[in-house]
Amino acid sequence: MKVIVLLDQMQAGLGGKEKANTPLGGKKLAMGAADTYDKVLKKNGSEVMGTFYCGTDYYQGNKAEVQRKVTKMCEKMQADVVIAGPTYDYPEFATMACELADQLQKETAIPVVVSIAIEKNQTLIEDYQKLLTIVKMPKKGGTGLSDSIDRTIELCQLKVEQADITEFAQQYCY
Amino acid sequence: MQKKLEQILMPFAIKLGNNVVLRSLRDGFLIITPLIIVTSIFLLIGNFPIPGWAEFWSHILGPDWTEWFSAVSNSVFSFTGLLACFGISYAYGKNRGLQAIHSSAVAIISFLILTPTVVTVGKQSIGAVQTMYLGPNGIFLGIFIALVSVEIYRFAINRNWRIKMPEGVPPAVSESFDALLPSGLVVLVFFLIRIGFSLSSFETAYNFIYTMLQAPLKGAGNSLPSVLLYNFIAMLLWCFGINGPTITNSVWSPIFFVLTQDNLTAFQNHLPLPHIYTQQFIDIFTTYGGGGSTLSLLIVMLTVCKSKRVKELGKLAIVPGIFGINEPIIFGLPVVLNPIIAIPFIIVPVLNTLISGLVFSIGLVPYTNGVMLPWTTPPIISGWLSTGSWTGSVLQLFELILGVLIYYPFIKMMDRQYLAEETEAAQLADVDINFDEV
Repeated sequence: MKVIVLLDQMQAGLGGKEKANTPLGGKKLAMGAADTYDKVLKKNGSEVMGTFYCGTDYYQGNKAEVQRKVTKMCEKMQADVVIAGPTYDYPEFATMACELADQLQKETAIPVVVSIAIEKNQTLIEDYQKLLTIVKMPKKGGTGLSDSIDRTIELCQLKVEQADITEFAQQYCY
Repeated sequence: MQKKLEQILMPFAIKLGNNVVLRSLRDGFLIITPLIIVTSIFLLIGNFPIPGWAEFWSHILGPDWTEWFSAVSNSVFSFTGLLACFGISYAYGKNRGLQAIHSSAVAIISFLILTPTVVTVGKQSIGAVQTMYLGPNGIFLGIFIALVSVEIYRFAINRNWRIKMPEGVPPAVSESFDALLPSGLVVLVFFLIRIGFSLSSFETAYNFIYTMLQAPLKGAGNSLPSVLLYNFIAMLLWCFGINGPTITNSVWSPIFFVLTQDNLTAFQNHLPLPHIYTQQFIDIFTTYGGGGSTLSLLIVMLTVCKSKRVKELGKLAIVPGIFGINEPIIFGLPVVLNPIIAIPFIIVPVLNTLISGLVFSIGLVPYTNGVMLPWTTPPIISGWLSTGSWTGSVLQLFELILGVLIYYPFIKMMDRQYLAEETEAAQLADVDINFDEV
């Protein structure tokens, strides 16, 4: 399973809020939080094929362009599945993750998994929970991070295998 | 191993993190923290650690200038017991689903009911309140009253002991009547408590709580093993992505708060500072650049590491790191769920705690003065300001360097792995993804 991970500047290891103007970019590597997914993926012979990052302010100012480029690049790189997150309770990143995931789902056949904490994102989740499969995760500093990482990967696997995700979604998604 | 440890730690962390009493203690202290920081600055200006400072300003502003500043600092530091009662009752009431402001109001009244209001001066008794009862020595009494009074208030509210007003009465009026019977019950109980203590050998609730609770807990908390345990648990939890200090503070914060206020009172009155293990000790002499003492890690990343990712992150995170912000490195390196970095992330703060504790014990650095500096104050400066001595800065510098040496082999291990990945990716194709292609 070849996975692309979408991150903001903070989770990609490119600085904090002051770097929110980081333009869309990517590396064919597991950067920052993607490395945590990569460690779990490698146990099952899968891997992160690329990390896409975008500063949250940059995204807000260039939504259409970022959405188009991310969609095209995911298709070009022939990813099996895309993970948007982990966003924790950062609302700006959570918004970006949901919007990009929604666009990807509409425009491509690539399955998408989103991972968001409910804190500060209640309305966003209500808006997107019927459209996307959003795995529950803890807020920054909350308990249960490791489990949520495992579940995100599990859902990726289920989606790639086109298995029934109803039961999984009921238990672990919003 | 990591999974097993997590299975053991998780229920413990969830229990502590969700405990409403502990959560309210932590939140309650946070309510008054901004006031403490602001008034600390006034205290520091009045007592700046430079020889001749007070004399210099006395020549210009007159001999009473320090009183202007102490009036501000006293407004908080002489009333920390009462303020703790206010903050904690507010947080506890809110967390229990009550009107927070009503909870605070009944708690403050209960505190005042239990406070002696007669002072004997010579042969004469006058009506007055001594700040002794309202200040640092009254903190545990304040906590106790906050929790008990709100609990009694809740007891009455839950049983719907209210005076129902007819419809059409404005909400503010009916809310006021809603609070009448529950408040009456709280007042009655504390009235009886006061009588009870006045008949006992303790004479006051203050004497009872101080002797039975505050003094013993202060003694237990004011020790090297206690502080080592505090930092060990806090850092261990961070490695699992859990904000460790939030959990540990819910247990330790009342104790550290009292110890800090004791030192502050002594500092204000130019008396010898009594305690080593204050909040300043924890904040300023055990971690540098945030949890895990990640400023040391950043220095290694910036100077020695070769992987592009690690070096770039080092560059970006060093400035926030100097000011104690380490979010970019906690999530960006990442530190969370990273077993390699977990080892030094725990060892460095614990070792710093041990070294600082020993250095303070043998008197190489003066005790911390209790002045709460803004948490963004960089090391070296904070070491000097909190102890009034350059030796504080030297200790910080020493521990920063020691942290660099401990982090070195671990981050190098990660760096080598990242570098290999980067080289491999670069050989296969261009590692950077060019979005202009699409």
